[in-house]
Amino acid sequence: MEGGMGRLLSSHSFFHNHTEREGSVMVQSRRQRNLFLAFCLVPTFILFSVFTLYPLFNGLYYSFFEWSGASSLAEFVGFDNYRRLFSDEIIPRTILHDYFLVVTKVVGIMILSTFFAVALTQLKIKEAPFYRIVFFFPNIMSVVVIGILWMFIYNPSLGLVNSGLELIGLESWTKPWLGSEDWALPSLVLPSVWAGIGLFMLMLMGGISNISKSYYEAAEIDGATEWQQFWKVTLPLIWPQIKISILYIIITTLNGSFIIVQVMTKGGPNNSTHVMGSYLYEQAFVKYNFGYGATIGVMILILSLVTVLIMQFFMRREKVEY
Amino acid sequence: MQTGKFFSRTIVRIPLIIWTLAVLYPIVWMVLGAFKSNAEIYANPWGLPESFSFANFVDAWSNYNIDTSVFNSFIVTGLGATLTLMMAIPTSYALERMRFRGNRLLFTLYISAMMIPMVLGWIPLFFLLMQLNLLDNIFGLSIVYAVSQLPFSIFVLTSFMATIPKSLEEAAAIDGMSPYGILWKVITPLSTTGIITVTIMNMIQFWNEYFMALIFLQTEENYTLALAIDYISNETQYTNAWGTLFASLVIAIVPVIVLYAIFQRRIVKGMTEGAIKG
Repeated sequence: MEGGMGRLLSSHSFFHNHTEREGSVMVQSRRQRNLFLAFCLVPTFILFSVFTLYPLFNGLYYSFFEWSGASSLAEFVGFDNYRRLFSDEIIPRTILHDYFLVVTKVVGIMILSTFFAVALTQLKIKEAPFYRIVFFFPNIMSVVVIGILWMFIYNPSLGLVNSGLELIGLESWTKPWLGSEDWALPSLVLPSVWAGIGLFMLMLMGGISNISKSYYEAAEIDGATEWQQFWKVTLPLIWPQIKISILYIIITTLNGSFIIVQVMTKGGPNNSTHVMGSYLYEQAFVKYNFGYGATIGVMILILSLVTVLIMQFFMRREKVEY
Repeated sequence: MQTGKFFSRTIVRIPLIIWTLAVLYPIVWMVLGAFKSNAEIYANPWGLPESFSFANFVDAWSNYNIDTSVFNSFIVTGLGATLTLMMAIPTSYALERMRFRGNRLLFTLYISAMMIPMVLGWIPLFFLLMQLNLLDNIFGLSIVYAVSQLPFSIFVLTSFMATIPKSLEEAAAIDGMSPYGILWKVITPLSTTGIITVTIMNMIQFWNEYFMALIFLQTEENYTLALAIDYISNETQYTNAWGTLFASLVIAIVPVIVLYAIFQRRIVKGMTEGAIKG
């Protein structure tokens, strides 16, 4: 840090010192410049190190200890926590649940938001701004509010889903959605899609509005149907936005799906909705297995980085220019 | 051609209207539920209330300590957003405008922190806060919040400051203004738009945040609103006081609705740009 500060580029003319000035002024202003740089960077970096970098690396370190929280009782256990991770029967289920949410959310959100984005930009609908404002609103609601709202929508006796099914004569389909081992996890997809559509729709709309009208005019002259125009013009040209959206959904799901799980089901019934993060929370902060919790955290870190890298590889595509 | 277009537009409107209802109906219904008595919620869960009663709000406010939680949430939101700015503005300025060794590296470090899952860090952070006597403390939580939004804030502010013409700083420097003066009196006022965008985004984030509060706060008098609502929701399974729960949800959502109504465009811009960082 000091070395970096000391060897600042002297050629930079921040203070507009002219060469005819005395050397001592040069030296003094250079020191002042370094002081100013330190003032700008050092306090922020210290806080960032203490509250972000240090905990991350320390989490890695904790994963080699067996520890229930009392500082004197931390015991170094080498790779024991990792062995436990591979033999824990719940772990593969949590991973599966996370990727189930990733896949269903990517498919659900991308299909709906692409449809809405195209509809609101290509077909000149007068009330388009209204839809935009409404669809985006759930994106800024707290996950707690969304989760509780949907818990009530799924409520077996009062909820909208079961009342709706009864209304259209499908009483046999009604079930305690969040209390059923088979249906609890799929039931979490709808609130996530509901809350996510708006943001991605707007990102795609940004992409579509940048496409020059002349492409569509040319396509129309060539006799392309609207459907063909969508596949041959719109989709390839908004590929960058689609790619970013998919990666963003993957990252936020793997790093944050546990929040809605924690609010709506706490991982139950019978572990059927546990995702990696909620299992980490349970192990560390409910059962006080902090070392094992940190090991799960390392797994989350590795899996999300690997997934993002793999997806980036598969979605790389020549930039389309017409 | 004309009729065909009209027809397709009507067809397209159907899913748009369905989705509008899917978004608005639960929210509107939650607000209506807050004004219903419990008996009415059971008898008629999805309809209009017979008469508007504020009993649920009174119950939530006085019997479930929502007043304390609202206060705590305001403190955490305000303090967190202020701290984020105090940290992010000088660093963004230095990263964007000054040349020094390690500039790129430091910028990359901050930005890549946006993609790292922080769950791993929360376990050591828990013990760090304990040692610093900041566990179960809303000021401790404010610091953690502020640092957690630092990468996003630096990302938005650096790209905003890049649009400010350099000639203004140079003129101020020639007039003998110190770099501190330039940062405070030239750059900060000129970045107001960016600063407001970042601050609104951070405030919404802090107001809504749940999981870090769940881990780092423990006693009821320190609960933020998100935790208080979660607590009431868990109680509701036994008490069935749905009306009170809805009233507390409404209390939580009103400030967000107000911000959205005023700053709709900025919020949308902030969020879509924040996502594009990836």
